[in-house]
Amino acid sequence: MAARDSKQESLLKIEDLWVSVEGKDILKGVNLAINKGEVHAIMGRNGSGKSTLSYTLMGHPRYRINRGSIIFKGEEIGDLPPNDRAKMGLALAFQYPVAIPGVSVSNFLRASVKSVRGQEIPVKEFRQELKAQMALLEVKDEFLSRYINDGFSGGEKKRLEILQMTMLKPALAVLDETDSGLDIDALKVVSTGINTLATKETAVLLITHYQRILNYVKPDFVHVFQSGQIVKTGGSELSEELEERGYDWVTQELTPSGVA
Amino acid sequence: MGEKVKMIAKERVDEITRQTAEPAWLKDSRLKAFESYLKTPTPCNRDENWHRTEVDALDLAALNVIVSDSKEKQAGKEPEVITQAFAHLGKKLPYIYTTPQNVEIGNADSELLSKGVIFCSLKTALTQHADLLNKYLSAQDLSKPDFAHDDKFYLMNQSLFNCGAFLYVPKNVSLDSPVLNVFTSGEETSIAVFPRVIIIVEQGAKAEFVNISTSAKSKKSEKSALSLINSSIGTLVGHGASLYYLDVSDFSTNTFAVSRVYNEVKKDAALHSSTVALGGWQIKSDIQTNLKEPGAKSDIRGVVLGAGSERYSFNTIQDHIAPDTASTINFRVALKDSSSSAYLGTIRVSKEGQRTDSTQSNKNLLLGSDAHADSIPKLEILADDVKCSHGATVGPADKEQIFYLMSRGMDNLEAEELIVQGFFRQVVQSCPVDGAGDWINTLVAEKIHSENPNV
Repeated sequence: MAARDSKQESLLKIEDLWVSVEGKDILKGVNLAINKGEVHAIMGRNGSGKSTLSYTLMGHPRYRINRGSIIFKGEEIGDLPPNDRAKMGLALAFQYPVAIPGVSVSNFLRASVKSVRGQEIPVKEFRQELKAQMALLEVKDEFLSRYINDGFSGGEKKRLEILQMTMLKPALAVLDETDSGLDIDALKVVSTGINTLATKETAVLLITHYQRILNYVKPDFVHVFQSGQIVKTGGSELSEELEERGYDWVTQELTPSGVA
Repeated sequence: MGEKVKMIAKERVDEITRQTAEPAWLKDSRLKAFESYLKTPTPCNRDENWHRTEVDALDLAALNVIVSDSKEKQAGKEPEVITQAFAHLGKKLPYIYTTPQNVEIGNADSELLSKGVIFCSLKTALTQHADLLNKYLSAQDLSKPDFAHDDKFYLMNQSLFNCGAFLYVPKNVSLDSPVLNVFTSGEETSIAVFPRVIIIVEQGAKAEFVNISTSAKSKKSEKSALSLINSSIGTLVGHGASLYYLDVSDFSTNTFAVSRVYNEVKKDAALHSSTVALGGWQIKSDIQTNLKEPGAKSDIRGVVLGAGSERYSFNTIQDHIAPDTASTINFRVALKDSSSSAYLGTIRVSKEGQRTDSTQSNKNLLLGSDAHADSIPKLEILADDVKCSHGATVGPADKEQIFYLMSRGMDNLEAEELIVQGFFRQVVQSCPVDGAGDWINTLVAEKIHSENPNV
């Protein structure tokens, strides 16, 4: 487990974050701190608000922050548009990435990398880097000439998300249910991608409701998410305990009477 | 130097005829057209065909008709618009560059000349190739579009056309790269210009033609100084011949651009036409294609990118006159701000038009919250053994797509650029001219990133 240095400023610091969607409160006081290079997993049932947290971090206009703050690299980002957050080094791998017909993956990747890095990269250099990452994720060349997520299988969509993360090299990659819908082979490949991504330079926030991806990606911290809050935090052993005992165990532990 | 003469009047016909020393048959046809023009009422936006235009805002009496007596001359410095086109099309091509004052020709290709290809200004054609023109402009061909009878603007053009281009490709001759015709009204305002383009591709021949129409960009719309650019384009694709025609227009916000395109496609011939409309106060364009003989095929495509308060009105007519003909139409319209578009697509199949195969598609992408698009398909089918399909969609840009692209660092306009290029892709990528797709994408990106012309 990475040691927390109290003097070091966190990469991401979320304090008492309350978020609503169309008038309904979804996040109810989230607190979370992530330091440079750490891997955090947030686990929780469907509907517990995990995806709301990821969309809010990236700045989706549908999500309204009512209270609290999101400090990224020492700056409040709650009011910034998504592209400014991306340029600061925040990236989101979507659970359900949209299809954009007519826009090829290669054009899109070039435009993204150019925007995030703030400069044009020479074509040859870009190609080399891309080919290396594609090999790692076992992505075929023909992928590049296809349109973004258009007619992609679930597995292909997730690979494209991770491929983007490895090309964008963010300071913090938020991976929203990147493991869902993957068969075991695809899960291994995607996990390899995540492990390459998680370096000293890139912290990872892995959002999932299954323990199984954590067999391949070892988190430094595991948080249990329930009813719009983080209710329990531990090391990687916590995920195994959850797998064994289920989310109800956390619920019961939190309820003094032992009745959920 | 072009001489400015007030008002559209019969005297203008006389002046034009006198200056060019035109043959008598042409003068007769001009005068006849002018008579019909006088009898034809000015259209209004209640007419189905002029739906969503503001034709009433154009004061015909305030326009200065340019009666130019300039002779064509060898080009001096290559105009910027042409340099930009060449950069994308990959090489220097023969071109004609027409302004209200001048006609310049550049990069004339002596090899084409030796094969009998004629590419010259219309004025030159009228004096040097009058008989050839007469053959095609007479009752036989290029004289039967719907708008010949009752369209005031078409009749206006037919009586007053005073500039333009002529391409003639003789039997079995192939042009491997396009020729370029550019018209620009430059900085002039309150003028009326009547360009006419005639393209004849004879039996077994092959040609590519790029037509660019433009004007200097003005910062804001001045309705008091509107200009009218009223063009007609006639193409004849002979037996077994093929023509690729690319039309790119980008006018200032005080230009009212009307164009009438009439295509005739003969036995086993193929016409591919792509229209790219990028700006103007109002654009009103009719494209009629007559599939006159068995085996004739046409593929008519268009992309329209509106911004500010621009108005577009496109009307396509596919006329399947003979049996065993095929046509496809694919028009894509993207509208920013409060721009608007009305598309009217007619498929017509005569009693003789058995085994017609025709598809028509019009899709509209609304980027601006005040943008508006109408799409009206019309089928008039008299034969009983035909395949006809049509589809139209109108919808706003997908906010999730914008968010996805912005989450990858792109700003709103960069996201819009990718989405619009993707939306246009199916139409743009099919351009048979090398480099045309890239060129169109660049023009689209430029317009998306330019300041709102006239909000």
